[in-house]
Amino acid sequence: MDPKTAKLQQQQKEETVEQTGQHQAAREFASVEEMLREDAAQTEVPPALARRVADSIAQEPKPPRSWWQRWFARR
Amino acid sequence: MAKPVEAGSAFAFDEARPKAVPDSTTRPAGGGPPSIGDQPNWRSLEFGAIYEEHSRQIFYLALRFLGDPTQAEDATHDVFLKAYRKLGEFRGDSAMRTWLYRITINHCKNLLQTWHQRHMVNNADDSLWETAVASSESPLRVLEIKELGQRIQKTLDVLPEEYRLLLLLVADQQMSYEEIATLTEQSADAVRGKLHRARKAFVAQFQKFT
Repeated sequence: MDPKTAKLQQQQKEETVEQTGQHQAAREFASVEEMLREDAAQTEVPPALARRVADSIAQEPKPPRSWWQRWFARR
Repeated sequence: MAKPVEAGSAFAFDEARPKAVPDSTTRPAGGGPPSIGDQPNWRSLEFGAIYEEHSRQIFYLALRFLGDPTQAEDATHDVFLKAYRKLGEFRGDSAMRTWLYRITINHCKNLLQTWHQRHMVNNADDSLWETAVASSESPLRVLEIKELGQRIQKTLDVLPEEYRLLLLLVADQQMSYEEIATLTEQSADAVRGKLHRARKAFVAQFQKFT
């Protein structure tokens, strides 16, 4: 086989593999909402944030209880 | 309904251990029943459950609305602190998520307003988006899922603030059109109409970043 042809065939094969790889990674969303939901699901809340909120709350005075908390407490 | 606090969360951890005391001194090595001093404080545990259930959505709204992860983290912290302080005012006539969103929206809008005033930035004329040509029905395609967040942020950044907010709220399946209408102080019909235009504007802009 002509070396040029072999090289061309190899190049075409690699491009096909690359394209297939891209195709597998591609994802289609039917709506904007679906895409945003996927994005939200992938978004991690910074792990240190819970500790930071908890620390701030620990320094707060006890907040007044809401009517439903008082109501349940009486029962 | 709030889910119970997961063991190991910052809230559960805080309540199980007095401040500045090593863990090994308060709990037997084999793990025995907690002493009276270890009894969880109901108010923090209850609030911990609220945080566990809603923090992801609150952080996501702040992140995509503000477009800055550090600001979003600060905003989420401030929102939950405000919510804690105002917990007594929560009357239960809306869902907890809606109530938290209201605090988040007000907080983020204040931040943006301050930022815009400081940087003298004006939003593009909103009417430009009325003529967006893309169809909101066409599927949105992304090659690399890891780039999704960046492309979404770029797209949202150039949309009018109201469109951005409506799209983020409607993406939360817990939110009805009526709740979004109440939150954004307009009728449900107005929300539907604006969402239609917001979707078209989003798709048109999103496709530019392909």
